[in-house]
Amino acid sequence: MAQPILQVDSLVKTFGEHQAVKGISFEVEKGEVFGLLGPNGAGKTTAISMATGILEPTAGTVRIGGHDIRTDLNEAKKINGLVPQDLALYPTLSARANLNFFGRIYGLRGKDLKERVEDVLRIVSLTDRADDPVEDFSGGMKRRVNIAAGLIHQPQLLFLDEPTVGVDPQSRNHIFESVLRLNRERGMSIVYTSHYMEEVELLCNRVAIMDQGKIIALDTIKNLIAMLGGGVIQVGIPQVNDSILAQISALPAVEEATLMPVAVAPLPATGEDVETKEKAPVAAMPVVKVVAKNGQQALVSLIAYLNERDITLASLEILEPNLESVFLHLTGKKLRE
Amino acid sequence: MKAWSITLKDLQILFKDRGAIFQLFLLPLLFVVVFSGALGEVGKDEPDTRVPLPVVNLDGGPLAQALIAGLEADGGLRLESYDQTEAQGLLDEKEISRVLTVPTGFSAGIDEGRPVALRLVNHPDANPEQTEAVRLVIEGVANDMSLEIQLLAALQQMGEMQNNAPAAFQEAFSTEKMQAQARSQFERAQAEPLVAVRQRVPGQETEQEEALSVGEVAVPGITVLFCFLASQMAARSIYDEKKVGSFRRLLAAPVSKIGLLAGKMLPNLVACLVQAAIIFLFGIVGLRLLGLPAATLGSAPLATVLVVVLIALCSSAFGILIAALARTENQIGGLSTLLLWGMGLLGGSFIPLFLLERFLGPLPKIVPHYWATHALVNLMVRGLGWGDVALDMSVLLGFTVLFFAVGLWRFDFD
Repeated sequence: MAQPILQVDSLVKTFGEHQAVKGISFEVEKGEVFGLLGPNGAGKTTAISMATGILEPTAGTVRIGGHDIRTDLNEAKKINGLVPQDLALYPTLSARANLNFFGRIYGLRGKDLKERVEDVLRIVSLTDRADDPVEDFSGGMKRRVNIAAGLIHQPQLLFLDEPTVGVDPQSRNHIFESVLRLNRERGMSIVYTSHYMEEVELLCNRVAIMDQGKIIALDTIKNLIAMLGGGVIQVGIPQVNDSILAQISALPAVEEATLMPVAVAPLPATGEDVETKEKAPVAAMPVVKVVAKNGQQALVSLIAYLNERDITLASLEILEPNLESVFLHLTGKKLRE
Repeated sequence: MKAWSITLKDLQILFKDRGAIFQLFLLPLLFVVVFSGALGEVGKDEPDTRVPLPVVNLDGGPLAQALIAGLEADGGLRLESYDQTEAQGLLDEKEISRVLTVPTGFSAGIDEGRPVALRLVNHPDANPEQTEAVRLVIEGVANDMSLEIQLLAALQQMGEMQNNAPAAFQEAFSTEKMQAQARSQFERAQAEPLVAVRQRVPGQETEQEEALSVGEVAVPGITVLFCFLASQMAARSIYDEKKVGSFRRLLAAPVSKIGLLAGKMLPNLVACLVQAAIIFLFGIVGLRLLGLPAATLGSAPLATVLVVVLIALCSSAFGILIAALARTENQIGGLSTLLLWGMGLLGGSFIPLFLLERFLGPLPKIVPHYWATHALVNLMVRGLGWGDVALDMSVLLGFTVLFFAVGLWRFDFD
């Protein structure tokens, strides 16, 4: 089996008393699009900063293309490329001048540099605006130049850190297309971090879900979603005890029923205003999380059970099986909280 | 090579910033004009310590005028012109201590090769030390004049002795040519004596440095001030890179941390050198065109250039220090501006150092501006050489190493 392009083993980063990354391990295969999914503050950017040599790890190892970043950092840096979350560009210079500069930093000169600049401009579809100052670009166009700068030296492994933050839908789609093309046509391995599960679901083969500095799940998207079986039903009821939980767990089409540690506001339905919904009153009573083998059957039997015992149904939420509900299932929190 | 790429990029950004261009290259020239012109004489109100010498010129001929001009040029005497009666009356009343009389027939006598005598009459109560000093000055100037005239006469005689020599020889060594050559040598000897005497009294060096005006130190002072002000450019550039995130991108690229810092220092160094060149050029050419006293690079221009390079290095290292210590935009833009202007004020950028030291003692020596200004003034204004600025250059180098070491130690690459 081919050597993974990225091997991260027991990686730790501590800032004073705060441990931002708590011993994470994962591998990225050549040609893979690997997702790092997690809410803001989960430790994704810190992990990437260590992998790209910006931050020195407190403990653990990172190997890129077989090069240990502690002993062979320069070789590792030549193999990887970084598209940081910030628009790391010089606004008064043109897109071409920015790309020329980053190309020279990676040792490109003369004809090679010129060809590479034209190539990455084509990839991000900015050839016609190449000589305009970056400060005159829209947010989406700046993001595209930001990506182009990370591609200038033809990295084998590209780290894309939240590349769609603050981007309009059109530019976002363009970025998705570019990522998929780079992966499919050029075989580039990609580590894609985001807190948007839709992006990760669309682009990635495998996903590591991070929360509070740890990887809490790592698998293919299909397997992660399969954890939820036929979906998750959350019911708010006035009183819960072990007996009720056991009885619900024994209902037909139910995998298991557990008491959620904290009351969680119901997820907004598609198209609903997230802000408005999140401000709605949260059930101040216990919420039982029911993992279903079959969503519809489980819902029918659950309602019948509650009616039989005359238990008031205070709230009901059916979670479709997706990464968002996987994250909720694993942490009790929403990704964008 | 990568440091140079960073340098070129930063210079490219700099030259698109009109505000920075104005501050770096035009504002210093305005300061030079103001300090050379409007404030040029400030600092020159020192008491006249020259010994007064009343002169009665009974001859009025060209050689008498040349003698008086020679005495005037000596610098130690203040000549006052009187007629004979007035001078005698003042001497009798002890209003003046002495009087020098150039007798009638002084010029004609010398022309004819007859010995002539100057008459110096001293009041009996005149200060004997001053009297002796005056006598020595007059004797020195008169001796120089006698020597010149005798040499020219000798050349005249030699010319006449060549009447029978071949025409080509006479043409090449004519009396006129030899005398012209001799006169040129005399003039040069007066402007740049082969042997010069510089007096120093140990412990009183500052007194020797007095009598420089604000105008005379304007070009060196403003050069130092603005060169150090440019250090903000390096600090701001680093801050901006960190703010937009390009610093992280550079850290992720195969560039060493030292190479990265060198790349951020070099643009400052280049800007300082260009800035100093513009100020010097303006000081030498522009001030003359404006009818103001022009600056010079001094008698050791290479030493001047080296001092400027050291100042630029020190300024660049100071920029790294500011970038390492400042945490906010205000600390770079506001506080460091105040600090740099304060250091300039303390270090003699606006006020001649001897005046500052009179009020502040050795305090100005704590800032690099003092040593930089001291070195440039010594080279450009006093015409001193390498040896006279060796200490200044060593201290500037020390400041550079200190600033860079502390900057590197405190620099937050994360």
